Amino acid sequence: MSWWDKILAFIPLELVQGLGVTGKYLFRKKVTVQYPEQRLEPKDRFRGMFGFSEERCIVCHNCAKACPIDIIHITDHFEESVVDGKKRKKKVLDRYDIDVKRCMFCGLCEEACPTKPVAIWLTTKTYETAAYERNERLYFDKVRLQTWDGVLPFPGVKAPAEGGMPEDPKAEKKAAGGEGA
Amino acid sequence: MTYLVIPLVKIVVILLVLILGAAYLTFFERKILAYIQIRLGPNRVGPKGWLQAIADALKLFVKEDLTPARSEKFVFLLAPVLIIVPALLVFAVIPFGPSDIWRLTDINVALLFVLGVSSVGIYGIILGGWSSNNKYSLMGGLRSAAQLISYEVPMGFAVVTVVVMAGSLSLVRIVEVQRELGVWFFLPGIVALFVYFVCGVAETNRNPFDLPEAESELVGGFHTEYSGMKWAFFFLGEYANMIVISAMATVLFFGGWLPPFPNLLAPLWALPAVAWVPPPFWFLLKVAAFIFLYMWFRGTFPRYRFDQLMRLGWKVLLPVSLANLMVVALGVLILGGRS
Amino acid sequence: MERTHLKAFADAEEMEISFGPQHPSTHGVLRLMVKVDGERILDVKPIIGYLHRGTEKLFERETYNGCIPHTDRMDYTAAVTNNQGLVGAVERLMGITIPPRAAYLRMILAELQRLASHLVWLATHALDIGAQTPYFYCFEERDKILDLFEEYCGARLTTNCMRVGGMPFDLTPGWTDRCRAFIEQFPAKVSDWERLLTKNRIWRERTVGVGVISAADAIEWGLTGPPLRGSGVRWDIRKVFPYDRYDEVEFDVPIGTNGDTYDRYLVRMEEMRQSVRIIRQCLERLPDGPVMAKVPKIIKPPKGEVYFSVEAPKGELGYYLVSEGGDTPYRLHVRPACFINLQALPEMVRGQLVADLVAVIGTLDIVLGEIDR
Repeated sequence: MSWWDKILAFIPLELVQGLGVTGKYLFRKKVTVQYPEQRLEPKDRFRGMFGFSEERCIVCHNCAKACPIDIIHITDHFEESVVDGKKRKKKVLDRYDIDVKRCMFCGLCEEACPTKPVAIWLTTKTYETAAYERNERLYFDKVRLQTWDGVLPFPGVKAPAEGGMPEDPKAEKKAAGGEGA
Repeated sequence: MTYLVIPLVKIVVILLVLILGAAYLTFFERKILAYIQIRLGPNRVGPKGWLQAIADALKLFVKEDLTPARSEKFVFLLAPVLIIVPALLVFAVIPFGPSDIWRLTDINVALLFVLGVSSVGIYGIILGGWSSNNKYSLMGGLRSAAQLISYEVPMGFAVVTVVVMAGSLSLVRIVEVQRELGVWFFLPGIVALFVYFVCGVAETNRNPFDLPEAESELVGGFHTEYSGMKWAFFFLGEYANMIVISAMATVLFFGGWLPPFPNLLAPLWALPAVAWVPPPFWFLLKVAAFIFLYMWFRGTFPRYRFDQLMRLGWKVLLPVSLANLMVVALGVLILGGRS
Repeated sequence: MERTHLKAFADAEEMEISFGPQHPSTHGVLRLMVKVDGERILDVKPIIGYLHRGTEKLFERETYNGCIPHTDRMDYTAAVTNNQGLVGAVERLMGITIPPRAAYLRMILAELQRLASHLVWLATHALDIGAQTPYFYCFEERDKILDLFEEYCGARLTTNCMRVGGMPFDLTPGWTDRCRAFIEQFPAKVSDWERLLTKNRIWRERTVGVGVISAADAIEWGLTGPPLRGSGVRWDIRKVFPYDRYDEVEFDVPIGTNGDTYDRYLVRMEEMRQSVRIIRQCLERLPDGPVMAKVPKIIKPPKGEVYFSVEAPKGELGYYLVSEGGDTPYRLHVRPACFINLQALPEMVRGQLVADLVAVIGTLDIVLGEIDR
């Protein structure tokens, strides 16, 4: 390194280059999303708040078994009824509670559900689950799971009747096949 | 009567403008940093966020003012005052325009006054850091003491370069000389300007020399324990000091209130369409440019380490400013400059 | 006279600073008892455990697939590679070969995760050293990666995106195009950040020669990942014990020479470019086919033990699995990269300044979720 190079190295050109980078970004389009007014639409597979459909549930307890932290509580009893002269036993749901405050939204319960389209679904696009009182507000029994304000009116939530997960080709095929039959 | 009333009115106006300006600088800084960082910045309070500074001030007024239990109470209270008063005091001698209306006073040793008064501000930081009885604050205060003392020296030499060129210590005279010579001092004194501004950034504890605060190391440094209005004083002091350094840079190197090319474009500036523009407009424009540079630095550079900062001050800036002073003095001597 | 004065100075009281657990640059809840003389560090003692959740004990009561969401929460900036290690361990014990499409999917996701994790590292490391702006640039890019994750598996951070035997879902239509679009624009961004930092004299002064650890020491301390490679040891699990299909793609393992913070910075920057290269190859070769192997509904590995490790962004992440043949692990031990890398911290900062401590914590790239588990 000659003395001239040393003097040149003394001039902070690379700092000016850095200023150039930040100067360039100064005029770039900003990426902030102004949250309460603008919202990012969650993707279709987004794991948001719970929804539940009592009439589709077959009370198999698979979701409760799959839950890694045991926050789904189910109790049921058998009800006997006579249909077409035959005795039939049917499981009836007494209680279907999800302790959402402890949920880690892993989606294993929905995966375990054997009904198609699924009875319990996490794919509502609601991510605003904040509450002032978590023990009360974030404990969902089966009535609240079906009627909480957001489960149906929230845009993007597809009730299972419309075909479960929108991009699940199996469900669509099944729905189509069902109509054909 | 006029001796009393007019200066008082001026003082009040300057103080108001300065404090409001410092408060709004926080807003502008947040905006500029946000834009550099591809964000939007504050835009909720008032239209486009313009009332943000006022909201911040109100918040600081109503915040609880904590004093650590085992601190030195009196010194703890004194420190914020010590930092803001010198910063405001400097504006007594800064000329915003050519005539007497545009300045509070013109004393013939204004430059010495500025250097002297502004170095008192360091006590605020040291005492604040010491009296908080907090290890982080103490380290911040010590860093600041070393930093300010070592950067005062090259800064002094940079300023002396201008004095040599202008042949006067009066700030008004310095600007006048720049007009008479038809060249602003930043051209012959480019190195001095560089040294001056780097030292100025260091003296105001701003990036990349913000070690006394160094949020990621010292959790706020000397003002860790401060809250409420006392903290706001530190904050205002920092921004007022930024304005001081920028204003001084404008006066010393960029021709103060003079419009660009005052002699070359003199006919243009005499046109009625532009002549109504008051001289402080140009002054403020230049100050704003410097302050923008401050914020741009903050958005770009990492932070120096303590020992590296010292090395830069003593081993680079001091020799450079001294050598530059020699060269400039020689040039003035040869070109038969004023003495 | 002078000597006694010096001696008095040398005996001056040492100061002990409690650095953390609520310190802005300890990356979580790390607490350091720092003994300093002025600004010079005499000794550092890390105190950990503020984020302990008993993850390893929790594993023992979960089914194997139920363990996966728990691994998300260890190194929460790199959930995918955590999942990858766990499912890999179980699959090795059961002798399952996953379908090629699943393997390639895992590689794509893991490399994306490596990018995301390195972005968090660069962001916080630069922030610690005082440069605020790279933080936001990095997080902008990271958000694009998280968008890809969200589209694939429904979650951005705690992905839970692998199952024993393969992947739970196939890609959504158009995912590969979006992924390709992302990796095409990404290297230009890396160059931008390098222009901000690499040659910057302040950055160099803050990182060159700081936190030096020699190759021999790094091996002695058991460092893995970029801290090891920064010292010049070419050790990458993806190369030495290839898992998934890493033996089918081409990539280089960058190494440093001096073992200082600057070299580790360069290594990670280059790793980002190499990850992009891997993703590009994977996208080209991504085969069709199923994403799930035939596995029993209840996963019961045979009795036995297995150690399986992956190259997580932070270093070697290993799982030591002991199975008794039941549907839950008998014992599942995690070899965390951050925990073992953190051990070398006192060695690396002794005798340096407080400001360097912050830089070295940043360069080790620790995540307290993984250290405390």
